[in-house]
Order: sequence, then C-alpha cells, then structure tokens
Amino acid sequence: METETKPAYHNIRTFDQKNWISQNLSYKKDTGSWAWIFHRISGIALIAYLFLHVYSLSPLAQGETAFNNKMQVYMTPFFMVVEWILFAFVLFHSLNGLRIVIVDWADGSNYHKQLYRWSWIIGILLFIAMGVLMFSFELKKFIQ
Amino acid sequence: MYKYKASKDTGSKSWVLQRITGLALLVLMIGHYILMHYQPDSGHTYQAVLSRMQFSWYRIIDISFITLGMYHGLNGIWNIFRDYKLHSWAKISIISILILTGLAFTAWGYVIIFSIPYIN
Repeated sequence: METETKPAYHNIRTFDQKNWISQNLSYKKDTGSWAWIFHRISGIALIAYLFLHVYSLSPLAQGETAFNNKMQVYMTPFFMVVEWILFAFVLFHSLNGLRIVIVDWADGSNYHKQLYRWSWIIGILLFIAMGVLMFSFELKKFIQ
Repeated sequence: MYKYKASKDTGSKSWVLQRITGLALLVLMIGHYILMHYQPDSGHTYQAVLSRMQFSWYRIIDISFITLGMYHGLNGIWNIFRDYKLHSWAKISIISILILTGLAFTAWGYVIIFSIPYIN
C-alpha cells in the first residue's frame, strides 16, 4: 500500500514578502548579520551624502565670495559634529568593506568574527583621532 | 513556460567592479581625508581649492573619485533592490532613475571641477 508522502521541499519555509519586516526582525542575528545591516545603512547614508556633497560644493563655480560664504555655514560646530558622524559611517563602511574582501579571500571566513571586532576597535580609535584633529583647532581658537 | 524568465546576467561583473571600485575608493578616501582635514582651512576655503586645482593631477583624481564613488554607491543601491522580487516595470524605473541621477550629478561634479580657473 502506497502512502502519499510530500516531497521534502514542501516543508521549506519560503520568504514571505508581505511580512518582511517582522520576518527580518525575528531572524536571529549574529556577527555577520549585524555587519551586513550596518554596511547597508552606512552605504545608503554615504551615497545620499555624495549627492549632497556635489550640491554643497557647487558654489565653487560662482567664485570666491560665494564659496567662502557657503563654507562659513559648514564650519559651524553643528555641521562639524555632523561631519564627524559622517566619518563614522565612512569608517564603518570602509573597514567592513575591507573585512568582506578578506573574508572572501582564501580562508578569511575562519576569522570573520575577529575581523569584525577589530574593525570596530580600529574604527573607534580612528573616530576619536579624527575628533581630536577636527576640534583641536576650534579649541585653540576658543582659548585665544 | 517562460514565466520566470530573468536576465542572463549573473551579476558577476558587477560584483568584481564593486570590489575594485571599493578598494580604489578606500585608497582615495584616505588621501581625501588627510588633504581635507590636516588643517581646517585646507578643505574649506576657496584659495586652498584654487591652489590645489592648479595641478591637473588633482582634477584627474577628483574626477575619478566622483565617477568611482557614484558608480559604487548607485550600484550598491541597485544591489539592495536586487534582493527583492520586483516587477519588471519597477526594475526598469528604478534603474533608470539611478542611472539618470547618477549621470546628472557626475556631470554636475565635472562642471564644478572645470569651472575652477587656471590662474597662471
């Protein structure tokens, strides 16, 4: 007597596009998942900034006074902090990008977690260094 | 029969280009940050930009920087959309918008770079 058995692929849960937010949130996230999520967010932020960057440098075509007036706005503390945060996105995206290259290379995937930790450590150190570099001139101006 | 007919392009060329441009951008970005931030004036005054732009090499570097950045960034955005199942009309609209805005802003960048005069 033959019993009707369903093929194995009937048990595979396919991606449910209608509930993708809850599906994505319920998925257990490990090192690689977070790296992927942050890489994506920082990438979107950076391309958005690149468009802004072209726009913000457009007064270069209008000569010296127009450009310097515009730059005065960007040299205020608020924009400097925004610039500094932008550097955090640049740092994460470049260090994690380098990590992806190493992970794909030879046996790099064996130590992708260490590489992720190192990218955060190097990133935070460079972020602080850039903060010192950017704001030391402002502090000197403030003291004088 | 050909209900799920898709592009024959596996995306492998795009993958390689994304990696190469990414590595190139990493090198360019290090130079860019040193150049712009070793002094607060170096990136934020017209005189500094003007004196740099007297050397055509800086113009060439800036042009390749913006071209590579636009390609890498917009190809990255396209890769995000490729993760989702989209109707072909949506795919065509999205990729058209990406290419057109990319070309427009790259051209705008070129115009800005070439608008800076040679003074000698």
